Amino acid sequence: MKKVKALILRTAGTNCDFETQIAFELCGAQAEKVHVNALLEKKDKIFEYDIMAFPGGFSYGDDIASGKILANEVKSKLGDKIKKFALSGRPIIGVCNGFQVLVKMGLLPEPSLFEQISTLSYNDSGKFECRWVYLKTLKTQAGKNQASTNCLWTQKLPDIITLPVAHAEGKFIAKDKNLIDELEKNGQIVFKYCAQDGNIARYPLDPNGSTDQIAAICNKKGNVFGLMPHPERYVYSLQHPSREGYDGEHGWGKAIFQNAVNYVK
Amino acid sequence: MYEIEISSKKDFKDVRGLNIFSEISELGIKGVEKVTYSQVYKIAGDINSLEAKTIAAELLSDKITEKTSVKTAEPSECCSLPNSFAGLQNQSLSLIEVFYKKGVTDTVAESVIKAVKDLGINKDIKASAGHRYYVYGKISQSALKNIAEKLLANTLIQEYKIF
Repeated sequence: MKKVKALILRTAGTNCDFETQIAFELCGAQAEKVHVNALLEKKDKIFEYDIMAFPGGFSYGDDIASGKILANEVKSKLGDKIKKFALSGRPIIGVCNGFQVLVKMGLLPEPSLFEQISTLSYNDSGKFECRWVYLKTLKTQAGKNQASTNCLWTQKLPDIITLPVAHAEGKFIAKDKNLIDELEKNGQIVFKYCAQDGNIARYPLDPNGSTDQIAAICNKKGNVFGLMPHPERYVYSLQHPSREGYDGEHGWGKAIFQNAVNYVK
Repeated sequence: MYEIEISSKKDFKDVRGLNIFSEISELGIKGVEKVTYSQVYKIAGDINSLEAKTIAAELLSDKITEKTSVKTAEPSECCSLPNSFAGLQNQSLSLIEVFYKKGVTDTVAESVIKAVKDLGINKDIKASAGHRYYVYGKISQSALKNIAEKLLANTLIQEYKIF
C-alpha cells in the first residue's frame, strides 16, 4: 500500500503545524513539517509530496494583515511550483491562517488564475472570535442555481458538522457579487456558518459576518480547499466539549483529513 | 521618504474605526460623530515612486477592501501635519497619529523590510509603521488627549500627536 506523504509548510508564527501533522498521521499519512526557508533551498522537494497543508497560526505575527507576508513570499519565490502542484490535482488545504494565505496569494478560488480576487478581512465584531460553530456542508444542498461541490476533502460529511474557530480576520469577501454567484454555481462554496438546526446563523454563531456566511471554499476541481474553522482541532471526540464523535472516538476533522489521504491512495 | 496610507474603500466596513468610535462612547466622551482609521507606513531608502506604489498595492494593502495613498515626505516632516490631512483640517475634524517611540522595536516595520525584499525589491530601506485616527466632531484638545492616552497609545512605548 502506498504511503501518502503530506507536507506541512510552516514559518515564523505558525502554531497549528503539530496538530495538523497528528491529524494526517492519524489518517495513515506520513506527514512532515517543512520550514518555508528549507523548501526555498530545494524548491522541487514539493513534488515529493502528495498533499500540501498551510496550517493555522499567526505567520509573521499577522503583521500588515493576516497571511499577507507568507502569501507574498510563497507566491513570489515558489509560485510556479505551488501552481503546478495545485493544477496537478494534488490535495491542498489551508486552515485559518493557511486559508488567508491561499486566498491572498490567489490560489483560491482558482489556481489557474492565481490572482487575488477575494479576501478574508476583519471580523465584523472587530475582535478575535474563538468558539465552536456549526457548519452546513453544501455538498448535499445542490439546487437550481447551485452545483454539488466537488471538494474532495468533504465527501461523505453529514449536512451539519461542528468545528472550532479562532480568528480575527475571517470575514470572506469576494471582489464582486458575480464571483459569489460563480462560486455558488460551480459548487465551490463548501461550508457556511449555520445555526444548530441548519438555519441562518447570527453572531456569535456567525463569528465574522462573511458574505453569505461562507466559511470554506474550494477550487472548481475540488482539490484546493480553504476553511476558517480548524478541523485539526477535532480529530478525537475527546476534543469536543461534549465528547461527541462520529464513531464514538473521532471528530469530524478526522473525516476531512481522511478524505484527502484516501483520495491519494 | 514615502508615506503610504492604507484605509478602507468606501463600500467596506472600517471595523477598526467603528470599534474606536464605540470605545470612545464607552469612555463617556461626548461630541465625537465618527472615527475613521488608517494604517500608515513611512519608508525611507533608495526606492523610486513606482516601487513605492508597488509596495503599497502588492504588500501593504488588501486589493479587495482597501485603498492606498502614496506621497513623498521629507524625513524632517515626521512631526508636522501629515500630507493626507492637509486641506482637510477644520474645527470638526482632528487627527491622532500614533507611532512607536525611538528605540522601541517596531516589529511590523521589520516584517515590512523583509517582505519588500520578497517582492523582488532588493534595496536597503528603513520603515516605520503607525496608525492614524481621524476623529470627526467638535472635540476639545483635552478630550482628544484623553482619547489618545486611554485608548490609542501605550505611552510607555508609543508617542502620539494630535493635529
